[in-house]
Amino acid sequence: MKIKKLYIILTILFSILISTNQVEAQKKNISSQILLANKFYHENNYTAAATIFEELISQGETNGYLYYNLGNTYMRLGNKGNAIRNYLRAQLLLPRNENLDANLRYAINQTQDQISPPPGGLITGILFWVDLISLFEHFELLILCNFIFWCICIASLYYRKSLWRSLKKISITILLVIFFSTGIKYHLSKQTLGVITDQKVAVKSDRNTQNITLFELHEGAIISVGQEDGKWVYITVSSDKSGWIPIESISF
Amino acid sequence: MQNPKIKLQSWLTAIVILICIFFPIQSFSSDIQLTTSVDKNILTIEDSIELSINISGIRNPPIPKLPPLPKFIVRSTGTQSSTQIINSNMQVSTTHKYLLIPKGEGNFTIDSVVMNLSGSTYQSEPIKITIIKPNSIKSAENRSVYTETSISKSNPYINEQIVYTFKLFRKIEARNLNLSMPYDESFFRKEDLGKAKHYSMVVNGVTYDVDEISIALFPTKIGESTIPPSMMELDLINRIQSNRQRDPFARFFNDPFFGRATQSKHKILSTKSIKLKTKPLPKKENLKDFKNIVGQLSIAATVGKKNIDEGDTTTLTVIVSGIGNIMDVLFTNLNLGDQFKIYPDQPLFQKSIHGNQVGGEKIFKFALVPLLPGKQFIPSIKLSYFDPDKNKYNTISTNPINIKIKPRTNIEELNLVQPKKVDSQKIDSSISILARDILPIHSRMGDFKSVTFDKSRRIIYMFGTIFPIVIYLIAAGYIRYKHQMNEDISYSRRQEAFGKAKDKLNHLSGSTLESKDFVRNLSQIIREYIGDKLNIQGAAFTAKEVEENLNKNTYAQDKISSVKNLLEKCESMQYSPVEPMNEHGLIDETTELLVKLEK
Repeated sequence: MKIKKLYIILTILFSILISTNQVEAQKKNISSQILLANKFYHENNYTAAATIFEELISQGETNGYLYYNLGNTYMRLGNKGNAIRNYLRAQLLLPRNENLDANLRYAINQTQDQISPPPGGLITGILFWVDLISLFEHFELLILCNFIFWCICIASLYYRKSLWRSLKKISITILLVIFFSTGIKYHLSKQTLGVITDQKVAVKSDRNTQNITLFELHEGAIISVGQEDGKWVYITVSSDKSGWIPIESISF
Repeated sequence: MQNPKIKLQSWLTAIVILICIFFPIQSFSSDIQLTTSVDKNILTIEDSIELSINISGIRNPPIPKLPPLPKFIVRSTGTQSSTQIINSNMQVSTTHKYLLIPKGEGNFTIDSVVMNLSGSTYQSEPIKITIIKPNSIKSAENRSVYTETSISKSNPYINEQIVYTFKLFRKIEARNLNLSMPYDESFFRKEDLGKAKHYSMVVNGVTYDVDEISIALFPTKIGESTIPPSMMELDLINRIQSNRQRDPFARFFNDPFFGRATQSKHKILSTKSIKLKTKPLPKKENLKDFKNIVGQLSIAATVGKKNIDEGDTTTLTVIVSGIGNIMDVLFTNLNLGDQFKIYPDQPLFQKSIHGNQVGGEKIFKFALVPLLPGKQFIPSIKLSYFDPDKNKYNTISTNPINIKIKPRTNIEELNLVQPKKVDSQKIDSSISILARDILPIHSRMGDFKSVTFDKSRRIIYMFGTIFPIVIYLIAAGYIRYKHQMNEDISYSRRQEAFGKAKDKLNHLSGSTLESKDFVRNLSQIIREYIGDKLNIQGAAFTAKEVEENLNKNTYAQDKISSVKNLLEKCESMQYSPVEPMNEHGLIDETTELLVKLEK
């Protein structure tokens, strides 16, 4: 019986060891790929660097700095649309990175339309930290607040004093605010921002090239992506500027 | 003096009328009618029909459903509502107007217009329409207005510029001109060629005013393609010769301000579609740097400073100009050897029109940092393109540029004792920004950890959310138990009764008491247990009292009788002459009974 138990424990430990080794090997491979891409970038071989970064992203690697480096590579290749798209992706994960903000500003200034990402509304104005904290950080903050709240609940049950009851009220308020702001952040992260990748795109009144051209957008213009319909997508630049464009003209 | 009854009646009538006019709900009358009419039913392809759908007998009717009209372009031109009161009879009607622009010739039928209202269906009569060729009415020579389209080349090379021109010829005044020049965006890239030109032209001895507009199209795919018909919509103004010629005020009244002097006619003129066959570029040999540039190009390069210090920067400017798809020129991997580090800037394209062709100038700027001192030269920068006029590939290049790089002489000596004070303001004012560029890529490898919302992260988040709640529930249960134990004596006695009894039984089983004392103690343990369980003070109660108390607390009858039997057994053993007894058996029996009572 004891031998059987020992055998099970050893098997579990061995499988954990193997999976850990596999994860470590995978991490090493990704690191070497990033190093190689960075090397290509420094050697002005931007196409090769972009290919590696794109491959890593297509393999499921999600990292703000990866998107940032890819954005820089596309900027060097003169592909402003994809550069801005990747900077925007990076901004979701690195909301307080100054280099990223500077490069995004620079890239937008290089575009013909110079459209900045849409500003937040009244709620994001009140919950000012929503733009400064990433979604993952929001979740972590929510878990921390949740933990503190329940600890205070236990303490208030044990000590039964007014101080703890006040602390309980304060902590539940903070928890609800953080919960609300996490919801807002989640909603904002689901809002699809797209970037024009074609040099020039005619925004049509409906889903057909024969329809009236309402206005034109140029490479790098940031737009809100709405309903998709086959090969067409509904986009909004501002409250009075919206229309349909071919889906292949946009990256989102 | 007006009769107050009549006064009241007229007020009520006015209120009813106002409600009918302004209240936005449907009001029905008994005879609802749906009729359709057209302004003409024989017309040319250049004309349009005004279709009127009239609904009478109902206020705010639903919009009727138009039949499918695939042979027409349909445009809504508005809705009119009218209310007429004739002899206290109110008639309301709504007219929806549509402009139908025919797409082709032939005989067509506008099917019934259908309107569904509260379960009833109303239908109009179908209308027959005949669309005929414009030539059958009037010969081409005598036409007051006509259009033409042309292209500069019908079999261009891919990426070769072709000019698509639209011309409007007119003898009479036209207003509200609206031109649509569609093109297949999947086959062509369009560039505007400036504003429309206006000039006069004699065609077969007739002088026409010509409006000409051109666009440059760059075919992006090989194969056959079609430029769809262009469509010009306009109002032709016919001046009516009135009999006022002798009238001194004739000139005054012939002014367009007075509508009677002119008559406008809405026309839609469409051109024929044009077919194109885009051919591939001829085979190229040893042209590695060819990037699908087609046109006539020239290239030039200059540097900002030819004498620079080691570590300084100079700007290399490469200008590509000419006609063709210059906007597509790129120098992505500029190779100037190992003697320079290159920082490319964003290229700048300035479009210009050369005759009837689009071209321009694309300016590339590169910040060069020389890595080696001495005489260096920037090698020729080559650009290959295809010239469609000469039907051959050309390679153009810049002249090599010599640069003298002075080695760095003023190496700063370290003064560890007394650092030289530097006026920071002076330094700031002396710095002039030469160029702006993106900040460098991120290279700290530790920061490249993947941040995904994967399974492990989800588990951590779920655990982080649920774990404190579970801890709280456990802690809350424990704290509540402790509080109750401290504050509720009956509860604490009840909870501790079994434990206490068990301890005493263990103690008793290990003791060496005489049998009568043993039985007394055992009886005492059972009574104390019952007392604790039922929160009864003291333990001096008889078996009958135990039975009564257990009955009050709704214990099962078998349990009660077991307790009673055991207590009576103990009593009988206590007061009877000395008999041999099984002490362990009694202990086990008591334990079993207590366990039974606990359940």
